[in-house]
Amino acid sequence: MATTALHPAVPAYRSGLYEWITTTDHKKIGILYVVNSLLFFFIAGLLALGVRAELAQPKVQFFAPDVYNQLFTMHGTVMIFLFIIPILAGFANYVVPLQIGAPDMAFPRINALSFWMLPLGGILMFTGFATGGAAAEGWTGYSPLAQRAYSGTGTDLWDVGLVLIGTSSILGAVNFLTTIFKMRAPGLTMFRLPILVWTVLVTSVLVLMATPVFTSALIMLFIDRNYGGHFFDPATGGNAILWQNVFWFYSHPAVYVMVLPAMGMVSEILPVFSRKPLFGYKAFVFATAGIGALGFSVWAHHMFTTGAVFLPFFSLMTFLIAVPTGVKMFNWIATLFRGQLIFATPMLFALGFLTMFLIGGINGAFSAAVPVDFALHDTYWVVAHLHYVLFGGSVFGMFAGLYYWFPKMTGRLLNEALGKVHFVLMFIGFNLTFFPMHMLGLAGMPRRVADYSANAGWSELNLLASIGGFTIAASMLPFLWNVMLSLRNGEIAGDDPWEANTLEWATTSPPPPYNFDHLPEIRSERPLFDLRHAGAAHSALPAKYAETHS
Amino acid sequence: MFRTTPTRLASVLPLAVVALMASGCASMIPGLYPPAPVTTQGHDIGNLYDIVFLIAAAIFFVVEGFIIYAVIRYRRRPTDTELPPQIHGNNLVEIIWTVIPTVIVAYLFVVSWQTLNTVEATSQNPQVHVLAIARRFSWSFEYLGPDGKSLVNGPDGKAVELPGTMVVPAGQTVRLSLHSPDVIHAFYVPQFLFKRDVVPGHENTFDFTVDATDAGQTFRGQCAELCGVGHQGMSFEVQAKTPAEFDTWLQQQITQAKAVPSPPPSGKAPSGSPGASASAPSAAVSLELTAKNVAFDKTSLDAPANQPFDIKFTNDDQGTQHNVDIHKDSPTGQVVFDGEVITGPDTRLYQVTPLPAGTYAFVCKVHPTTMIGTLTVK
Amino acid sequence: MTASGHALTTEHSPVAGLAHDTRGGISNPILGMLLFITSEVMFFAGLFGAYFTVRASTNPWPPGPEQVGEEMAEKFNLHADPYLAALLTVVLVTSSFTCQLAIWAIRKNDRRGLVRGIAVTLILGILFLVGQAYDYSQLGFGLTDGTFGTTFFTLTGFHGAHVLGGTIMLSVILYRAMAGQFSARHHDAVEATSIYWHFVDVVWIALFSTLYIL
Repeated sequence: MATTALHPAVPAYRSGLYEWITTTDHKKIGILYVVNSLLFFFIAGLLALGVRAELAQPKVQFFAPDVYNQLFTMHGTVMIFLFIIPILAGFANYVVPLQIGAPDMAFPRINALSFWMLPLGGILMFTGFATGGAAAEGWTGYSPLAQRAYSGTGTDLWDVGLVLIGTSSILGAVNFLTTIFKMRAPGLTMFRLPILVWTVLVTSVLVLMATPVFTSALIMLFIDRNYGGHFFDPATGGNAILWQNVFWFYSHPAVYVMVLPAMGMVSEILPVFSRKPLFGYKAFVFATAGIGALGFSVWAHHMFTTGAVFLPFFSLMTFLIAVPTGVKMFNWIATLFRGQLIFATPMLFALGFLTMFLIGGINGAFSAAVPVDFALHDTYWVVAHLHYVLFGGSVFGMFAGLYYWFPKMTGRLLNEALGKVHFVLMFIGFNLTFFPMHMLGLAGMPRRVADYSANAGWSELNLLASIGGFTIAASMLPFLWNVMLSLRNGEIAGDDPWEANTLEWATTSPPPPYNFDHLPEIRSERPLFDLRHAGAAHSALPAKYAETHS
Repeated sequence: MFRTTPTRLASVLPLAVVALMASGCASMIPGLYPPAPVTTQGHDIGNLYDIVFLIAAAIFFVVEGFIIYAVIRYRRRPTDTELPPQIHGNNLVEIIWTVIPTVIVAYLFVVSWQTLNTVEATSQNPQVHVLAIARRFSWSFEYLGPDGKSLVNGPDGKAVELPGTMVVPAGQTVRLSLHSPDVIHAFYVPQFLFKRDVVPGHENTFDFTVDATDAGQTFRGQCAELCGVGHQGMSFEVQAKTPAEFDTWLQQQITQAKAVPSPPPSGKAPSGSPGASASAPSAAVSLELTAKNVAFDKTSLDAPANQPFDIKFTNDDQGTQHNVDIHKDSPTGQVVFDGEVITGPDTRLYQVTPLPAGTYAFVCKVHPTTMIGTLTVK
Repeated sequence: MTASGHALTTEHSPVAGLAHDTRGGISNPILGMLLFITSEVMFFAGLFGAYFTVRASTNPWPPGPEQVGEEMAEKFNLHADPYLAALLTVVLVTSSFTCQLAIWAIRKNDRRGLVRGIAVTLILGILFLVGQAYDYSQLGFGLTDGTFGTTFFTLTGFHGAHVLGGTIMLSVILYRAMAGQFSARHHDAVEATSIYWHFVDVVWIALFSTLYIL
């Protein structure tokens, strides 16, 4: 069973800057991804605070419309392409090789290359602020607004930055797929893979198939803008709707790229803190694959009001994708049932994910009903919907993962009390910010407006949303304080602080280079559970619990 | 690490409370319904919304209820010393909770498809045909005859666009075509519960009928697709009149448009490049005016009476058209100077012919409702 | 994604088998190249999608004398003179064959055959690039000439860039082959490069059929 002993455990992560820059260790690269993404999360969060500050009251107070448009454009772009997608890829980078018992990713150097393209792309985009204004067309960059006639150099930088980030994603996907297909430990069959690995697999297929189409769109836009091309500008024979088709062909699957790995994390965490296996493992796998497949046939539901898409087909597909999503929801809840729920911080965030993602799923169904979408499209309702999915879903899931794997990454646990303060503040702030946006949208407030009339009756709800936005920002303070405190003085985690199920907890925290000295025998999707309860699956409680609860 | 103390309950409680509050809101706060619809099509959409909302609320309460129940009922207790039963799944329940959602979404799809067909239905011969022109950042409307030609025309026979307000007869079918000469906009009237994109190079058309009972009402409309720096201010109004009032109004527009003479040619700015106009003989008085973010930087200007003066006009809005028109007395008065429309970023030197003393208004004719100032000549 | 089911479940693979799976089946670098080519297929699918969208909304295609004038319409009519492009197609298809000959050679541990095959492939690849550059200079229209010019030059240009990338890869392979770095057991890089080269060839056949024949 044992593999070659590679290196003794070294005191990891005390190495110098040079080591971090040149590393090809998937764990260090994973941490680089996470840190880099969090950095962009805070920057994009500040941009969002700018938006909420401006909208708190009618009339222009802080940012003129040209600057305001840059704020929300960069907020959206950075949150999606430099925070959510890469931070999930970062966790996957750290966790997937560990969970499949591999020593590293299949292509460690390409892995490093994938990472380093991200900060480069991000910096390029932000350079726009110094060249007469960053991109200001919304993260969707609709043409002809994104054509040379209507926008400046910032849009070119946005375009090139996204090509870099997209290439990084594609290379990452190639790496994940090869790793998952080829480097699983002995005994780890496909149907014993942890659900997180399955979601990363499906995500990688989506990235591999969809991102290149977006790259082609960005290149066509670049040709239009800089070399006199005519792809998207109707004034010169092009087709404005073409951009939306190629853009959403990528960007809708991208929504699943942003949420599937978070679902995977939650599917790891709920069983551990319910002390039960995941309910309906195979149903979960099929639902994930189903979401991936259907994800390619729903892109035009972003274009119902263009008058240029075949409405019934895309409406049907959009409704249908609710079914596998629902199956997941029910399986999660069934996992909780008859369990013994432990409300540690990762579990709280995972439960936050369940409750908020439920709303994000349900209010999405409104837009699948095409005529209702005619009323709601491009209003604040859509802003509410997408934030319930991406913040209530992905970001809560991401924080669940962060609290869960932080001990593995650093060897120390995060402080539980501060973690709970973080959760409560963020949960309240989140709902305060985004729930009123449903009402604003129904009342007719379009998205992406720098200002609104004081007579429109939107002032109170906007103020409420702004207060919520600043509450979310405040919730980051206990989090950051917690990280700094715990890195120095946090409780020592040990190999397996959560009594978890999967292989990453079978090695030291943090793991040595090449991860494992030896692997336990793998006979199910919960090798560590098997190890812990070998021969006595229903025997007495582990000593740790007996001690804390008696 | 897993303390059983009040901290645990304290952290679960807000989860439950906020979830309950959010769900409570759903049924109690009228804010979760769209505004009362005012068109036939809007009523259909409103009815569909009610169906979707009821089903959504039911699902929300049931599922959220299960979560909260599980969180409270199955929280770990000090007496839990054994592992809970290790249940791996159950095929029957998997099938049940796959089939039930499928049935629900199939039903939703069918009702929304039916509503779609009534909403998208077009009349054989609509009573009125309007062409809405959305350009950065204003709306204007042309009234078309059955042959598709404009009814309201100037003395030169050219179509006249009526800015800012669309007047329609209540109770009659109106066909609306949407045209954009620049970027994508969206025609959106919240009380219609409807919007449609205005796509350059792709003319969208739809029919709507304002309820007969809503004659005399005015509805607010707004561009719903980001179109640049003036997007938030790109609004319009829809005025519903009784069919008789509408006919009178339309006739009035037709006669008025024929009567209005073209602006005096003397007012035309030199058509050369900025360099050329800069080298032209300069008048004694030169005023400066800048347009940025779809607003003038000044609200008032002073000029000497009975002598020519210059306006150095800078347009800082990239890709957006602005100009300066001078109207006698008020922003809607007779045009005494019509400056060339320029697309920013650009600068023009407008040479204005002598004006008699008095009060004038300067207006950007592309944005006549938002870009207005007072010119005092003395 | 073309890997066989057996290859995808290497249950007995060594954990430490970082880059090479010695237990048979498809190796990591080749699987990686196949996955990368999947993404390349989607990239060209995006460009082709744009081409067909524009083409469908332009009548006639290519734009005729009434739209762009007599002179330009004649230049746009690629169907009238597809001979140079056809010749280039022959060049590229031949290079695919010589590339495959090289692969068969090294699989039998024939290093000279490998060098010969790769060298001929490389020369044919360069010949194609030179031919395409000459074609560009003779067309008489450019990227800015309507949607026709834009789509034509974007599609052929990105294909050309891929051929250029391929010739660089082939040059590296040639250098390494001459240094004797490959053997029957160790030549994943050659296999991967040849898969890429075949892909570039297939894209050109699709392009030639679409632009010159269809």
